[in-house]
Amino acid sequence: MGRPKIPVDLILAKLAADAEEAKHRLEKARDIFHGPLATNIGTTPYEMVYQEDRVRLKYYRPEAARFKTPLLLVHGLFNRETLLDLQPGRSMVHNLLKEGVEVYLIEWGSPSRRDQFLTLDDHINGYMDNMVEFIRGRHGVSQVNLMGVCLGGTFGVIYAALHPEKIKNLITTATPTHFNTAKGLLHIWMQEIDVDRLVNAFGNLPGNLVNAAFLLLNPPRLLLDKYLGFLENMDNKDFVENFIRMEKWIFDSPDVPGETLRQVIKDLYQGNLLVQGKMRLGERRVDLGRVTMPLLNVYGQYDHLVPPEACEILTKKVGSRDTENVCLDTGHVGIYVGSRFQKETIPRIAAWLLAREG
Amino acid sequence: MAEANSGQMGSEPLLAAWITWTMDFWDTMAHMGPGLVDADRSAGQAPGETAVLGDAWQASLNLWQAFFSLLTEAGTVATVFQGIQAPSKIILRMAQAGWGGYFYLHQQWLQGWQGGGTPAGKHAYENLDQDIFRACNEIFEHDFRQLLNLPHLGLTGLPQERVIRATVQFNQFQAAMAEFIYLLYLPVKKSLRVMGAEWVDGGKEKPPEDFKEYYKKWLKILEGHYMTLFQSVEYIRTLTHTLHALEDFTTAKEELLSEAMAALGLPTRREMDELYREIYLLKKSVKGLAQQIGRTEPAREEG
Repeated sequence: MGRPKIPVDLILAKLAADAEEAKHRLEKARDIFHGPLATNIGTTPYEMVYQEDRVRLKYYRPEAARFKTPLLLVHGLFNRETLLDLQPGRSMVHNLLKEGVEVYLIEWGSPSRRDQFLTLDDHINGYMDNMVEFIRGRHGVSQVNLMGVCLGGTFGVIYAALHPEKIKNLITTATPTHFNTAKGLLHIWMQEIDVDRLVNAFGNLPGNLVNAAFLLLNPPRLLLDKYLGFLENMDNKDFVENFIRMEKWIFDSPDVPGETLRQVIKDLYQGNLLVQGKMRLGERRVDLGRVTMPLLNVYGQYDHLVPPEACEILTKKVGSRDTENVCLDTGHVGIYVGSRFQKETIPRIAAWLLAREG
Repeated sequence: MAEANSGQMGSEPLLAAWITWTMDFWDTMAHMGPGLVDADRSAGQAPGETAVLGDAWQASLNLWQAFFSLLTEAGTVATVFQGIQAPSKIILRMAQAGWGGYFYLHQQWLQGWQGGGTPAGKHAYENLDQDIFRACNEIFEHDFRQLLNLPHLGLTGLPQERVIRATVQFNQFQAAMAEFIYLLYLPVKKSLRVMGAEWVDGGKEKPPEDFKEYYKKWLKILEGHYMTLFQSVEYIRTLTHTLHALEDFTTAKEELLSEAMAALGLPTRREMDELYREIYLLKKSVKGLAQQIGRTEPAREEG
């Protein structure tokens, strides 16, 4: 057996010093935890302008609108849309308002067992289309800008392919469209899921199961390192508040309607039908060649949930000639809450939209 | 510096006393059950049965020993660690004795069940780490479940069957979950082993003096092991199996609850689901009709 070469005496001395520091940190943290903490999410003021069943539409008014065409944000069904307005200073919604964009945001709500029969068609050709109609009527415009987030982006692409006349510009962020990739764990696991069995047993996919699945994507970081980081920074009030906000969002996954999940898994993750032009919604085929409006496709280089391989192919598959891929130096959530995205990418998106405002 | 040295000298006797006491304790404990392993083997136990556990103990003790010898090198409690080799063997032997005893009892227990079902004595205990959950499940399947399979007759037959089914599915889910959690633990074990080797042998680079550096390194190794695990066929198989077990248990539980709710005159989940479906279809029809009316009305006005 070899001899250990680690300077244990120095390490122990450092640990002792750290313990002393931790004691002071704990005292300061106690004061923070006993005081009021601002941990609300989704605090940017809005007006609820439309509701259909459990689904609602929020309207955010900018101080000075610079765009004639309003922007509709579509989030996925697996997490809450509050990610886009998580904390002051790092709110995508707030920063879009600062750019003078009139923002509409779909709140999918909390599906209950009575929503289990709602299909992908009901969500896209039903709720989404009704809300687009509402916005068009409210603003007196023939087209709206559409921005999709994660699987909400996939919804956006499908919608744009089915209703191209209603969409002026399409922006997709961390949006999977090519599902047949072995790069993302989610894509690998979904291949083996027996979704019929799952839906038959549960009706809807339980939100807690979604939470657990996300934690399993990286247990060392999400179950250990994250909380050690919290312990190290719990004397920093801002850090504590932001940490709790993020925790609230992460563990607040809603249930996913069973029939919608069935089609998402079968047609998208397992069949990869969308990019092959074989997917059907209701009675219509989803033809990406009909996506002829300008397309900005934003994704993260280190996104393990929706890897670049799942996103980048979209610009080659659509019918539009005005397309652009933007690969950011970040991960999945970082796209929406990262400081760089807030400072650089949102102004870039606003400029891209402005150039196509016409 | 002189003060620091005097401080170290002050704590040394205490530490030395503690280590001596610990060594004495384990030495005494080790002598309390001598010969158990040998007795167990004479009862038909294969020598390889304790090998897996022995490996783990040996690895841990090596690390422990390395740590002590390193302190010796640091010169803080130089003499008290002499003879550390002896306690490590004693501890290992003691652990083997304890495990051997367990197998002996287990074998006795299985023999007692032989009249009621097929004994689950065929499990590959040589590879105990991997097979323990399968073994537990097989014990349940081969022994307990046979009793649960007795036909249920009469008025309460059907409810009894539902209870039994839910019980069986619950056990199967627990077994699958245990196996899944064990699989999730494997990267931790492997990464600690890698770090242990690093600890003992060191690398080419100068070792860091901050514990956080080791933590970061371990975390990176751990992440690597998890990524490998998560893409493995074994993991996907276990994940799928666990999910299926959960689904089966949920279904069995629902059937049992439905039985109880029906007896209480409450609407069951299945009945509610049927109602939800009807409402869904009705709403869809109404929305479709409303859209049709919305489209035709302006046309009428124009006409």
